[in-house]
Amino acid sequence: MAAAGIALIALVSACGATGSQAAPGTIAVVAAENQYGNVAAQIGGKDVSVTSIESNPNTDPHTYEVSPSVAEDVGAAQVVVQNGLGYDDYMTKIESASPSQTRKVINVQNLLARPDSTPNPHLWYDPTTMPKVANALAADYSALKPADASYFTANATQFIASLNPWLQAIADFKADNTRTPVATTEPVADYMLQAAGADNLTPFRFQADIMNGVDPSPQDISLQDNLFAQHKVKVFVYNEQVTDTLTQTFISDAHSAHIPVIGVYETMPTPGFTYQSWMLAEVNALQKAVADGVSTQSL
Amino acid sequence: MAASLSPLIEPGFFSNLPVQTALVVGGVVAVVSGIVGTFTVMRGQSFAGHSLADIGTAGGSAAFLVGISPLFGFVAMNLMAAGVMEWIGIRRPRGRDLATGIVLGAALGLAALFLYLDSTASSTTGATINVLFGSIFTLPSSMVPVIAVFSVVAAGIVLAMYRPLILSSISSDLATAQGIPVRLVGIGYLAALAVAVSLSAVTIGAILSTALLVGPAATALRLTNRPGRAAAFAAVIGLVATWLGVLLAYDSYYWFPTTGGWPVSFFVVTLIFLMYLASQVRFRPRSGVQRRSTLTEAG
Repeated sequence: MAAAGIALIALVSACGATGSQAAPGTIAVVAAENQYGNVAAQIGGKDVSVTSIESNPNTDPHTYEVSPSVAEDVGAAQVVVQNGLGYDDYMTKIESASPSQTRKVINVQNLLARPDSTPNPHLWYDPTTMPKVANALAADYSALKPADASYFTANATQFIASLNPWLQAIADFKADNTRTPVATTEPVADYMLQAAGADNLTPFRFQADIMNGVDPSPQDISLQDNLFAQHKVKVFVYNEQVTDTLTQTFISDAHSAHIPVIGVYETMPTPGFTYQSWMLAEVNALQKAVADGVSTQSL
Repeated sequence: MAASLSPLIEPGFFSNLPVQTALVVGGVVAVVSGIVGTFTVMRGQSFAGHSLADIGTAGGSAAFLVGISPLFGFVAMNLMAAGVMEWIGIRRPRGRDLATGIVLGAALGLAALFLYLDSTASSTTGATINVLFGSIFTLPSSMVPVIAVFSVVAAGIVLAMYRPLILSSISSDLATAQGIPVRLVGIGYLAALAVAVSLSAVTIGAILSTALLVGPAATALRLTNRPGRAAAFAAVIGLVATWLGVLLAYDSYYWFPTTGGWPVSFFVVTLIFLMYLASQVRFRPRSGVQRRSTLTEAG
């Protein structure tokens, strides 16, 4: 029913598309999440008009519901960037509802060759992800606008170089701290925590339950409680975009046990951040939490 | 004793904080539901009871939106709905289903809106499952006193007007003839019902709360004809189903190590249903006798 509705809307937009907001002469790009949109804009520069679908830091992208204007944007897009791994399945539905021979789709899951069974969909926290996305974007842009190919390649090179402060911060953290024990609510920043050598003591089953919006088992809740009460972790990393009574309880438990709390985001907080500065800010928050015991609940 | 139960009770059951809260809250709520539900069945208001529970979803989901406990939303919405139902004519047997159905439809429309807003405009992920199917293991222990107060209110209303309520539940004409303010008793009862279904909504969920309200009461009324005894039986049946359900949900964590167990609402509702089936098999209907003997007791 919903799929049929999307299909209908997409069909209408395919027939009567006015080209969305794309400025004339630019490549129309749609990114499912604004972190990919930000990178897409950095690589494309003056040649692209980027629309990001999910950019509201107060909502959970996992439960995103599509509006008609999204179908219209995707229908008119020349390049689409989506995460994959079930995180933004609606994109695939909209794309197949308005088929296009020329639209280029960058599915980050496929780009990284991750199997569908990959439990943690938050790929952009993995330091190896965005360089590949940047290069894929440069290649697709170059195919659409060959005259500016060297411009796109230069932008990609510059972008990849600009990730260095973040990568350095991760490396420094890892060098300073061996297997820092942490607790989390969801696997949002797990790839980054892993890269930083942290040891996530929250069972993945618990993180997946919170991510999927179902109740964790009492055993896992109790285990998590004890991580705070018995001071087994040095930091509590929670998903700033998904809070409920249970996660609020954990936040206050962590505070009363004097364990620093840091909030991480599923989509890039706006305004004032680029992908690079956001990622760096999150590692800095982790560093400050472990070194100085400082909480950073929002960026 | 403890040793002989060990195959049934997995380790850590009684020392687990979420379990302790669930046993206390679930127990209190089961007792209240049993007492109030007995009169629901006697008065033939099962549909109203079920509808109030469903209507509560609008309140519960609105509570998520403003960031307070769903219980307050359930209670506020159900009391309002009970008032409207009374006003449009729940007293008249012919208008009763209509009044209930109209209010139910309108409230479910609101619930659809609020649940949509919960997932798109605020950072709550589990709202839908939490409101519809309950979340007893994630109840903060700070809610226990609040639940206790509401329980005392609901049970108190029923017990305070015990005799007139029984009489007007059996025959409103007879009650009127005896000078009982039947309408006032009806309003008071509806208020108690509204609070009772709100309480069971936070334990096993809004759409399942009828099971706890009507199931144990219907089973109890198979076992005895006396209203007082039936209410006591219903309370015990509800209590056993809830506690056993909590235990099975806890144990099921060990049956399914990867996913971490089945929801407690499923076990509670299934146990209630099985007990009702068992009562059907064991006790043959004695409809003729039942009516006369309840009348004698009331008179």
